[in-house]
Amino acid sequence: MNIIEFSNISKKFGNLKANDNISFAVRKNSVHCIVGENGAGKSTLMKILFGSYRQDSGIMKVNGSDVSFNSPLDAIANGIGMLHQHFMLIEDFTVMENVILGSEKTLNIKIDFEESERVLKEYIKKYNLDLNLNKKISELSISEQQKVEILKLLYRNSEIIIFDEPTAVLSPIEVLEFFKIIFQFKVEGKTIILITHKLNEVREISDYVSVLRRGKLVYETEKDILDLKVLSREIVGNVEIQDENTGFDYEGEPEVIAGLNNINLSVNKISVLNNLDLKLKKGEVYGICGVEGNGQNEVINILFGLEKNFTGKLNIFTDKISLVPDDRLKKGMIKEFSVGENLIIKKKECHYISNKCLKKTAEETISKYDVRMPDINAPMESLSGGNQQKVIIAREIELGNDLLIFSHPTRGVDIAASAFIHSTILQQKKKGKSILLVSSDLDEILKLSDRLGVISKGRIVAEFDRNQYNLQNEVEKTILLESIGKLMIGITGEQKN
Amino acid sequence: MSKKIKANIISISVSVLLTFLITVLVLLIIGKNPAEVFIMMFEDVFGSGYGFGQTLFKATPLIICGCGLAICFHASLFNIGAEGQLNAGAFVTALVAFALSNAGFLIAVPAALICGFIVSGALGLVPAVIKVKKGVSEVITTIMMNFIILASINFFLIDFFAVKSTVHTEKIPDGIMISKMSDLLPGFQGSSLNLTFVFAILMAVATYFFIYKTKTGYKIRSVGFNETASRYMGIKTNRIVMLAFFIGSGLTSFVGMNFIMGYKGYYEFGFSNNLGFTAIAVALLAKNNPIGIIFSALLFGFLDYGGLAVNTLVPKEIMFVIQGIVILTILSVDKLVEKYYLK
Repeated sequence: MNIIEFSNISKKFGNLKANDNISFAVRKNSVHCIVGENGAGKSTLMKILFGSYRQDSGIMKVNGSDVSFNSPLDAIANGIGMLHQHFMLIEDFTVMENVILGSEKTLNIKIDFEESERVLKEYIKKYNLDLNLNKKISELSISEQQKVEILKLLYRNSEIIIFDEPTAVLSPIEVLEFFKIIFQFKVEGKTIILITHKLNEVREISDYVSVLRRGKLVYETEKDILDLKVLSREIVGNVEIQDENTGFDYEGEPEVIAGLNNINLSVNKISVLNNLDLKLKKGEVYGICGVEGNGQNEVINILFGLEKNFTGKLNIFTDKISLVPDDRLKKGMIKEFSVGENLIIKKKECHYISNKCLKKTAEETISKYDVRMPDINAPMESLSGGNQQKVIIAREIELGNDLLIFSHPTRGVDIAASAFIHSTILQQKKKGKSILLVSSDLDEILKLSDRLGVISKGRIVAEFDRNQYNLQNEVEKTILLESIGKLMIGITGEQKN
Repeated sequence: MSKKIKANIISISVSVLLTFLITVLVLLIIGKNPAEVFIMMFEDVFGSGYGFGQTLFKATPLIICGCGLAICFHASLFNIGAEGQLNAGAFVTALVAFALSNAGFLIAVPAALICGFIVSGALGLVPAVIKVKKGVSEVITTIMMNFIILASINFFLIDFFAVKSTVHTEKIPDGIMISKMSDLLPGFQGSSLNLTFVFAILMAVATYFFIYKTKTGYKIRSVGFNETASRYMGIKTNRIVMLAFFIGSGLTSFVGMNFIMGYKGYYEFGFSNNLGFTAIAVALLAKNNPIGIIFSALLFGFLDYGGLAVNTLVPKEIMFVIQGIVILTILSVDKLVEKYYLK
């Protein structure tokens, strides 16, 4: 039975057809993946379903009857819930306060916290969410915050749940936990719509897949006949995905460009870095992998000079450092500024900022880095995530600095843009730049780095170099991956070579 | 960008129109004939060179102070302390001008203005430093600074510098006064309008250039939009906050030029008459765009002088009501335009 039917949905933003005549159906009690590049129209379609946008034309049916949502409230009333990419939580409220906010159960004029707690504890148990209802959001990790959002959906009895790139912020092990939750949803008879970029996830959990490209529905498939090669070709269209593995070779011992020695750092009396040692060498990519919040950001801040209250020894043999931060919107750009304005702010030249100078800077980057956008004066916020990321990377690379720090460079970025970003990183390495790559995506680290360090609880607990992990033997590879995974969550003792 | 400018123009015109309608309503309610009031006002302001000159004269300090505040506001620093800052600057300007009066116009005037700028700027730095070092909101500190500064000026003025049994300083000699506009354009005969108005316009243009066309201006706006991102882009955000506060507050001191060198010749306690607060509204109405500030200051100058002109018909306080309504309407119309035009 079809629980949702889209027929001929179209939505335009200015001249851009975000959704172009899209028709497909979602079956009840299935996991339906919607895949496509950034800007393919996935989010727009989901926002229409969730009532944040209204379609220009086309009909949407939920549970067999025509619906027209004026706001998310209407969608929620129809049993639709959405987990956004950016969480909607109040930092200073507890988990429980956040969950019940907006639909509190009351006893006379009082909020009935006891009853809410009972209900929520049941959900937590059933879904194995492992949350403390009385903790404040600000004390939770990203994955825990995501669980709070999931709990919100459960509390509101959502039958149809939309996830917008839910695994982008999770480590490999947390992803597995998340999948368990999804399976539990299915057992409960709920319908799940999942927006994602990651094809191996699609293979693992989807029942049905719809591919959008440039606003159109181009391909549909289902679990039993799923072919990832076909799928990825359909997603990117005619773009060739080149293989990145160009091989890494260097002779002799390269010189050290930055060294962190026995670094300790406490923030608000909580120790975040703990005797951390790290050496970055010239012409290599050093990958730091680990579960988020284990000190990665602090290492970056120390190298970039934003954090000064540490003890230990920091040697940096260059002052030319570029940084592509982990959170584009918060740290990487001024979303109100245009592309040109975002680029020019770091440029040494152009003291007088003329329109000509802005336009020239923007145009150069747009063509060199293949940035796609509605028009040249549009604010950064109107670009898709992948294109925003390209602009930021362009800005940092064009400075010609010696040490480049990339933090989660392909988070929430589509396949083609990811490939582009990866090859850009490798190009920079070939030019002799030192690169620090921080990512929770282990595949990315393994693909790009010459050496990798596993960070856990504020220290590098193990280091590997490329000939240790660039294994051809699948069995050995699996064993290695497992042991890295365990190190990341701090299961085994600390071993450092 | 151009769509944004259009949106700004739409929201400003709609709110001015709306304010006009509300004013008509208010006048009707208090039993006055709106047509009569408005005709009298327009006749007085535009009918004579004197009235028009007075309007421009009233607008001058609003342009100057509004531009200073716009710099702070672009950095997302809500400086409520202009009233104190500009008084201190103007006070020092008057003292320095008087002390150097023998040195001649070309030395005394620039020296006085620079000293005023430094004093106002330094007082602006106090809340900036507290904010940067301890994270205290500048809204609270600047309000408190107003009390401290105004009381201190009062003390120094009365106890040391005032002409006996007055609340003003010694008058500076005519040699270091700025020319009246009527000396050049006889049409303005009798009005206090002086060349400071031209200075104010130039200052607005310069401020526009500074904010939108220089690297420093970009950094100020960038910090205003997103401080975290600015820090990650390598901008020394603390330095920018202090710089914006210093320059922004410093510029407010130039209102002294209009009153002291262009009009009375001395600093008088209470001369500013809440100018530092009205200028907040002026900057807000113009969306912190210095060129827009010229026009919003003219509107406020028009209301200010126009209020005096129609004082026989309605109490001049009605103009404060209008000024308040302008701000309320622009804030609400803005949201509507954002929702229905920009989306």
